Amino acid sequence: MIASLRSRIDGWFLSRRPPSDTLELTQRNVYIVPTRAGWTLGATLLVLLIASINYQLNLGYLLTFLLAGSVAVGMHVCHATLRGLAMHMMPPEAHYAGAAAVFRVVLHNTRRSVRYGIGMAVRGSGQWAWTDVPAEGSATVEIAFKPERRGLHPVPPLTAETRFPLGTFRVWTVWRPAAKMLVYPTPEAHPPPLPPGEPLSGPAATSAALRAQAAGEYDGLRAYRRGDPLKLVVWKKAARAQATGSEDLVSRDTQQTQREELWLDAQATHLADTEARVSRLCAWVLMADRLGVDYGIRVAARVVQPSQGEAHRRACLEALALC
Amino acid sequence: MNKFMREISALPRDARDTLFLLAVIALIVLPQVGNLPWWCTAITAMVLVWRSTLAMEARPLPGKWARVGLLALTLAATFATHRTLLGRDAGVTLIVILLALKTLELRARRDAFVIFFLGFFAMLTNFFYSQSLMTAVTMLLALLGLLTALVNAHMPVGKPPLMQAARTASWMALAGAPIMLALFLLFPRFAPLWGTPGDAMAGRTGLSNTMRVGAIAELALDDSIAARIKFEDNRAPPQSQLYFRGPVLAQFDGREWTALPSWARGAPASGNLRTSGQPVRYEVTLEPNHRPWLLTLDVAPGAPQAPGLEVTGTPDLQWLANRPISDLVRYRAESYTQFHSGPVRQTAALRPYLALPPGSNPRTAALAAEMRAQPALANAGTQAFIRAALQRLRTGGYTYTLEPGFYGNDTADEFWFDRKEGFCEHIASAFVVLMRGAGIPARIVTGYQGGELNGVDNYWVLRQSDAHAWAEVWEEGVGWLRVDPTGAVSPGRVGQLQRLVPQPGLFAGAIGAMSPTLAQNLRAAWEAVNNGWNQWVLNYTQSRQLNLLKSIGFEAPSLEDLAYVLLYLLVGASLAGAAWALWERSQHDPWLRLLGQARARLAKAGLKVPDTAPPRQMAAQAEAHFGPAAQAVREWLLKLEAQRYAEASPASLAALRAEFRRLNWPAAPNPGR
Repeated sequence: MIASLRSRIDGWFLSRRPPSDTLELTQRNVYIVPTRAGWTLGATLLVLLIASINYQLNLGYLLTFLLAGSVAVGMHVCHATLRGLAMHMMPPEAHYAGAAAVFRVVLHNTRRSVRYGIGMAVRGSGQWAWTDVPAEGSATVEIAFKPERRGLHPVPPLTAETRFPLGTFRVWTVWRPAAKMLVYPTPEAHPPPLPPGEPLSGPAATSAALRAQAAGEYDGLRAYRRGDPLKLVVWKKAARAQATGSEDLVSRDTQQTQREELWLDAQATHLADTEARVSRLCAWVLMADRLGVDYGIRVAARVVQPSQGEAHRRACLEALALC
Repeated sequence: MNKFMREISALPRDARDTLFLLAVIALIVLPQVGNLPWWCTAITAMVLVWRSTLAMEARPLPGKWARVGLLALTLAATFATHRTLLGRDAGVTLIVILLALKTLELRARRDAFVIFFLGFFAMLTNFFYSQSLMTAVTMLLALLGLLTALVNAHMPVGKPPLMQAARTASWMALAGAPIMLALFLLFPRFAPLWGTPGDAMAGRTGLSNTMRVGAIAELALDDSIAARIKFEDNRAPPQSQLYFRGPVLAQFDGREWTALPSWARGAPASGNLRTSGQPVRYEVTLEPNHRPWLLTLDVAPGAPQAPGLEVTGTPDLQWLANRPISDLVRYRAESYTQFHSGPVRQTAALRPYLALPPGSNPRTAALAAEMRAQPALANAGTQAFIRAALQRLRTGGYTYTLEPGFYGNDTADEFWFDRKEGFCEHIASAFVVLMRGAGIPARIVTGYQGGELNGVDNYWVLRQSDAHAWAEVWEEGVGWLRVDPTGAVSPGRVGQLQRLVPQPGLFAGAIGAMSPTLAQNLRAAWEAVNNGWNQWVLNYTQSRQLNLLKSIGFEAPSLEDLAYVLLYLLVGASLAGAAWALWERSQHDPWLRLLGQARARLAKAGLKVPDTAPPRQMAAQAEAHFGPAAQAVREWLLKLEAQRYAEASPASLAALRAEFRRLNWPAAPNPGR
């Protein structure tokens, strides 16, 4: 009951902050409360005051009041450590669900003094990353985070906090970045081998044969091209070439011999559960990418034509994340 | 030293911070060493050294059982020493021990906080024993040290230099000082909430309410200050009249003089006090002596005005407070140096002042009888007898010394006939015994005589070495008369600045060798500084607070007014803080602010420019939107750009701001069109 009330208040509180990739901290969005140590210090001050009264110690009054004055100034310093700070969200990179990830936030300080001891974390995670922001400069914080579900999500609310200088007050703010973050599915841990290829069809078959002839390659060998997987390098030839002083490498031309193409199809997983399917497809995409073969995927209504390389892999994973 | 500092800063951060905190703890405990039981000092030193070697060598902290064992041991030792775990002295011992032992489990931030809080308490306990300027300076350093350690603990990144934390801490203390000052001046001073525990009075010296004659072979001169006196308009009576009255001793058992029990002292003094001449007004700042006596110049007919104390007079003209003076007290009093007191006619109340223990001092009794028998004194009055006795002291080869050696049982006999030397208490005691032997009521008055004027601040300083004993003799028709027999033996002892000076210390000796007046002047200056500290800080009392309110315009100030002033100040300070925060917010770059104003002006004219557009882009957009009408605006924007980025700026920002106001902005679009 209380928990649900608290989460509703929390939701209302969050909904009041418009999402933005840049947040300027002002009086309005920086909050301050005493910490437990702050309360204890207050109690200490009270005891010191009572002792000073009872023993009529004017020097005791001085000590108590100087401490109280310093703590009051400390409260201001603590609030000013966050107040006036600007935070920018770096465009988040895509991550796999369930694996450790980081956001990068740049903190800008226009003030002519250093801001010490600023911690940032995903709200409620308790995993703080601490930094100092130099005077009239900026610092980058990497915030640890573990995305749970695949898809395109808003970045979770972040919180920044400081207890500098005395630890008697906690000053904090809550920030909802507007940036969206793509979360790929979790790759299956021990996926079965890749499904068998399907016969080449139509124009693709002829184009592959034509390409092979145009390049004038024989025996399924061709010159090494940037991006070729190391598996395809013919190391025996490479060693011989190196002995003669040449640095050229030679790769096996898989396309030359390939008469089938690899389709990663959701049907081929033989799994009923969508998430399990997506997870296996993800693992297959990574496997095929590592092998350096051409592959395409068919999942739900999305189709990505066979190809290979970094951009292709990303397109496939995105399709899997969003299907 | 430098090498040591470098080694310290080369340590890992944990070790360095721990060492620093240990040094601060040592600084807090150091002034206490004289007041702590020896074992407490020893254990504290041992633990601090132990903990610092652990930190330097990065060894693990001792286990739980070692700590618990040490704690139990020290608790037992505390109980054995003080017979209690409560009370002030036991509390001080415990706090110091806990502070030291807590360092043995100094790991997490929470432990650090416990040390900070204990540290503040330990600092306060220093003030139980001394509130001197030196203590204050030491504790200020310790407070800055603790704050520095606290700030340092909240700089989690890397290994920031301690100087950085020290700078932040000093800045906070400096900025907090006005708050301290306001609270100190205005926080209402209350009476003690509960009685000060009895052990607050242990182990102090000063005037005593008994006087054991001859038990002291050598009088150590205690140079510490007993009281300071400020005479109104600096009109001090001659030094020979500066007798400050302490306990009156009239009961003698042969060795020891004590005060008469109160029922035997006779009528209250005020009834038969006869004063003449002009009164002397003055203010006394009395150092704590843990006795209820309020020193007054002989003789004060009215009670001294001591805020917060109830003052009562005794029949023998002493003023007593309702509690022992355990802290610095200041009071005003009014005295007459010419006075007579006591009954004028012989009464039964005078009988105790004639009593002598039977059989003691037979030779003095014989001397008294012999003197009485002399024809010149037989029928003459008391005055003549006193003169004769003083004459004997002056001419009989008696000398004043601080090293009289131990006296036997009949001290008066030994003084008059055998040794013929002694200091004021021997002389006064022998004199009173002689008077009583001759049938003249007499008594001993103890107190302070003389004093020394500090030329720097015009305060008279009474030291413990000014403690003195003199006699009062009763004469028919007159009452009690002051007679100082010491003056007859050593005229210099009374009324002049000729003191028996103790051997100077090494340092004072060295300065004295260079210039005798320099040493004296240095001491006078230092004591004046200390006195200023006493007057302005230690003696800031409720009455001073109310005087402060009076001086800022309150007619009849009360504690309530203090609270109001404090509240107003608090509100004012909060408002000032809010104003500062607002001002801080508006303190963006003035150039950006001007650019923002231009953007707003263009928006008003109907051209929305993105927030990120630089002046040149704004100029281009304005030209495209308004055409030639925006020519002036365009030029101004380009000048604004040049002001920021060109090597030699054509116009100052102020000039651009002025131009901005004069500028002919394009008109707002006509909504009708």
